[in-house]
Amino acid sequence: MVDQNIQKSADMLWDAWNTNKPTTPIRELLGETDVEAAYAVQEINTKRWLEQGRRLSGRKIGLTSKAVQTQLGVDQPDYGMLFSDMDIPDGEEISFATCHQPKVEAEIAFVMGKDMDDPDVTTTEVMASIEYALPAIEVVGSRVADWNIRITDTIADNASSGLYVLGQTPVKIGDFDPRLCGMVLFNRGEPVSVGAGAACLGSPINSTLWLARVMAKAGRPLKAGDVVLSGALGPMAAVTPGEVYEARIQGLGSVRAAFSAE
Amino acid sequence: MSDLTKIAEIADEAARTGTAIAQFSDKEVLTLDEAYAVQALSMQRRYARGEKRIGIKMGFTSRAKMVQMGLDEMIWGRLTDAMREEDGGVISFKKYVHPRVEPEIAFLMRKPLSGNVTVFEAMDAVAAVAPAMEVIDSRYDNFKFDLGDVVADNSSSSGFVIGNWCAPDSDISNLGLVMSINGKASQIGSTAAILGNPARSLVAAARMVASAGECLNEGDIVLAGGATAASAMAVGDSVVTDFQDLGTVSFTVGE
Repeated sequence: MVDQNIQKSADMLWDAWNTNKPTTPIRELLGETDVEAAYAVQEINTKRWLEQGRRLSGRKIGLTSKAVQTQLGVDQPDYGMLFSDMDIPDGEEISFATCHQPKVEAEIAFVMGKDMDDPDVTTTEVMASIEYALPAIEVVGSRVADWNIRITDTIADNASSGLYVLGQTPVKIGDFDPRLCGMVLFNRGEPVSVGAGAACLGSPINSTLWLARVMAKAGRPLKAGDVVLSGALGPMAAVTPGEVYEARIQGLGSVRAAFSAE
Repeated sequence: MSDLTKIAEIADEAARTGTAIAQFSDKEVLTLDEAYAVQALSMQRRYARGEKRIGIKMGFTSRAKMVQMGLDEMIWGRLTDAMREEDGGVISFKKYVHPRVEPEIAFLMRKPLSGNVTVFEAMDAVAAVAPAMEVIDSRYDNFKFDLGDVVADNSSSSGFVIGNWCAPDSDISNLGLVMSINGKASQIGSTAAILGNPARSLVAAARMVASAGECLNEGDIVLAGGATAASAMAVGDSVVTDFQDLGTVSFTVGE
């Protein structure tokens, strides 16, 4: 029964992804608390995409803010897969129509320099494994209608991932302050989201440590070259078609997500 | 005018004794001009008691806050030497009605500034910048007020703490900050929340004091406005804010 519902949930999200027609919440099949089943749903679709030839380019970490965790009634973050086709060059126009109810978040991206196969990895090992950091904008999306999500819905839906844009100014881990770096997301000169590194689980290094451990356990360990979107540094912002969103992270540089009018 | 004098006396007594009062707008809404007149009159009472004006504070400097209050303009209030608390010191809770604390950026003026100025002119008049926290305290019941009420109440200013002064050319446009209460993060944000750049708040401060016939003087302190929402605090709390690049400012809350 549970297995059937896992497969059915995966099919609903798969269809929603491919047809760009959002689905009803899959928690109606999986319940609101079975995180393991939700990751099983995610894994079914990850395998389908890999079979289709999509290439893994990294991972994203979600639910890294206290406020969002409280909202969804959870006490830990979640993860999703990043594929190479989600990588949008800085400032290149993103087709709004092909996004799934897009919103934007400013984050720090870490590019890994080493494989991380050990589930008992430590903070210092994570820091030593990060090749460099980049400013990033994650364009999140939801295959669930009206973003009506609880924890199981978002995990099953690849952690509500969509696209990502990376800045082009690599900074070494010792050359900026991951906890205290200021973040502002501008739209037409107005700050639409403001925050700092600490908003991401206390520090983006903390979320990356969590991810490295969990991925090693889950059998999809981080590999050298993987991009880690470590989690939002401030509230997510709604996207208006035709608009440009610029994230500035003090010490890391800036990056832009530009959306088409239609 | 006698009415405004009476209102100023009520506002000043509430602040002096740390006692909550009813909003004036329950009976009669003050226009913005009347409210600033009340603020000036109530400050005269403070000066008569020996307090010295040592600067000003800006309020409603975040777009989110302006939208929330339905406003399109900032507000300002006066700071006196009696409001200054020591960095690392103990503040007295009973001095206040229902104090809240918010992280701020402070400017120290090295020369006078007033009127319509550019960001360059404003920053050229700055001797130093510092991490700071403001203790805001509305004297109204339940922290409820309209625009006229809050301006008449010296824009809720009541106390402030300033950390180490840093070079005036420090880049303060987007500094991350964490305000912790008893070691737990209470507010996380960036100075970019202050009008996109706190320097713009100093420009606005020069313009607003000029409209009252005043000036930012050499040695004045300007608090640029809250970088995050304000947090409530209680006796025994340790409040610490870490700023990217600028350092730390702290106090504890005593009886």
